[in-house]
Amino acid sequence: MSELILRGATTTTAPRPWARWRVSVSAVVLALIVLLCFVGPFLSPYGADQLDNGDALAQPSAAHWLGTDEIGRDMATRILTGGQLTLTIAFGSVLIALILGTIWGMVAAVRGGIVDEILMRLADISMAIPQVLFGLLCVAAVGPSLASLIIITGLLLTPSSARMARASVLQEISQDYYAAGVAYGAGQVRLMATEVLPNAAPGIASQAVINAASAIILEASLSFVGLGVQSPQASWGSLLQQGYGQIYSTPMYAIAPAVAILVTVLTVNLMADRVGQRKGIRGDR
Amino acid sequence: MKFVARRVAVSVVMLIAISILIFIVLRALPGDPVIARLGTAPGITSATLARLRAEAGLDQPLFAQYWTWVSGIFHGNLGDSYFTQTSVSSLIQQSFPPTLEVTILSIALAVAVAVPAAATAARRPGGWVDRIVTALSSAGMAFPPFIAGILLLLILSVRLHLLPARGYTPLLENPGENLIQMVQPAIALAISVAPLLLRHLRNGLGDALATSYARTAEGKGASLSRVVWVHALRNASLPSFTMLGLVFGYTLGGSVIIEYMFGISGLGSLAINAAFHRDYAVLQSVVLLVSALFILVNLVIDLLVWRLDPRMRSSNV
Repeated sequence: MSELILRGATTTTAPRPWARWRVSVSAVVLALIVLLCFVGPFLSPYGADQLDNGDALAQPSAAHWLGTDEIGRDMATRILTGGQLTLTIAFGSVLIALILGTIWGMVAAVRGGIVDEILMRLADISMAIPQVLFGLLCVAAVGPSLASLIIITGLLLTPSSARMARASVLQEISQDYYAAGVAYGAGQVRLMATEVLPNAAPGIASQAVINAASAIILEASLSFVGLGVQSPQASWGSLLQQGYGQIYSTPMYAIAPAVAILVTVLTVNLMADRVGQRKGIRGDR
Repeated sequence: MKFVARRVAVSVVMLIAISILIFIVLRALPGDPVIARLGTAPGITSATLARLRAEAGLDQPLFAQYWTWVSGIFHGNLGDSYFTQTSVSSLIQQSFPPTLEVTILSIALAVAVAVPAAATAARRPGGWVDRIVTALSSAGMAFPPFIAGILLLLILSVRLHLLPARGYTPLLENPGENLIQMVQPAIALAISVAPLLLRHLRNGLGDALATSYARTAEGKGASLSRVVWVHALRNASLPSFTMLGLVFGYTLGGSVIIEYMFGISGLGSLAINAAFHRDYAVLQSVVLLVSALFILVNLVIDLLVWRLDPRMRSSNV
């Protein structure tokens, strides 16, 4: 009997500090990555575009920690400034998906019926085309540029946000407080903005974190095949493309952006796992 | 039967909707394939532009253009590439086998790894095998296929000189060389795909082993291996089989970049090239074909599961 109570007690309280701790570890690592990318270049002795032609395609050394590229720019500095672009694209597209997806999903959930059916079929249809191919299609139509990359990636991620937003909002409007709000005569817009959305936020947020990982992968995929970020600008994806061309002479040129992408995606994934679990804990109560 | 008919109808409607979506994205958005084809060559008159547009059928009303494309599909005539002027169907015919091969090989590899790993992990939930397998699959999930590909390339081709970095030889021309070239692309794709299957199957097996029929089987003296492989796996594999449809789509998407990376002239490379040259004629058909493949595989899998699982059949009629 006492054992049972004890076990019950440990399962309800023990995972929570652990879960919180894990959120903070992945969040701290992510914050560090962001900080490094945006502050690091100022601390670097080299400018991002500073050439050193005598020392092109150098192997890693004390002077150049990650070696240099084909015209002698410091790779470590380029990775950091490239990260700025990659993270900016990821952030911008997640924001677009978050806003559009939430509206899309919320309208579907609240309206229900035929509107819901049409909106969700639309999401199914756009998700049946593999993301990379859909991306190629859009880039072919509007041409590659930073702005179009952010918008395209954002739009590609919107249907998954919409699905999540719909599910979260549906769950909330089945609760008593929503019915009570309607009965008290609260306006639908106000009810949504002040009551439903804050409660649906954890689910929507966890999807946004998952989207961030997808955005980084999509950006890198499109840039890797030369249809994303265009030179002279550089992101991790386009650096990977250039490094891929030098893979035999200077392996570090490809390794550095690959590891940067991998570490960031892994961190974001870990964060998504935890955000999702916290939501689960909340939902169970 | 009603279920089958409805499921098939849904797939057909989705395909039509996808073809419209593809068409709208390419035509409604700004961008002119004819100008893209000519590049910045000087001295082009507007008459030349108009003639080239007419040749490609781009001067027709949008609906007429759409109809030409879609009705052509049924005649096996997808028009000509805007850029190279070769027929789209012959381009697709050449590019289809490599993509199919990469996809099938990597899924086979993923299944071959995921099933035994999940079965071994499920024998002792929470045991060290389970924990290692779970940790490895979490790590594998974070690998976008092209990152896995480039790291494989760095290790196996650049450092160890074990495998060729690029190139593709048709399977029928030289099977040995073909398979050697396929090793890295297939592993790269399987690394990111196997964990999905593995997790799903592992959870399914866990649930199946907790049921009373599994306990009964064990109580009757069946060994744990037998219970896992014969009793539990049979029940747990059907939902994972459905998962295979998603995995297929994921692999098709991933293979686009992988083909480009390893110099395989498949549908992915074709699509990338077409996107580069704004070759709408090629791109729209390739994207539609790949999406159709994805929908078809999912349809077949759903129908198979429905056929194999008596519970589904009784609940879905």
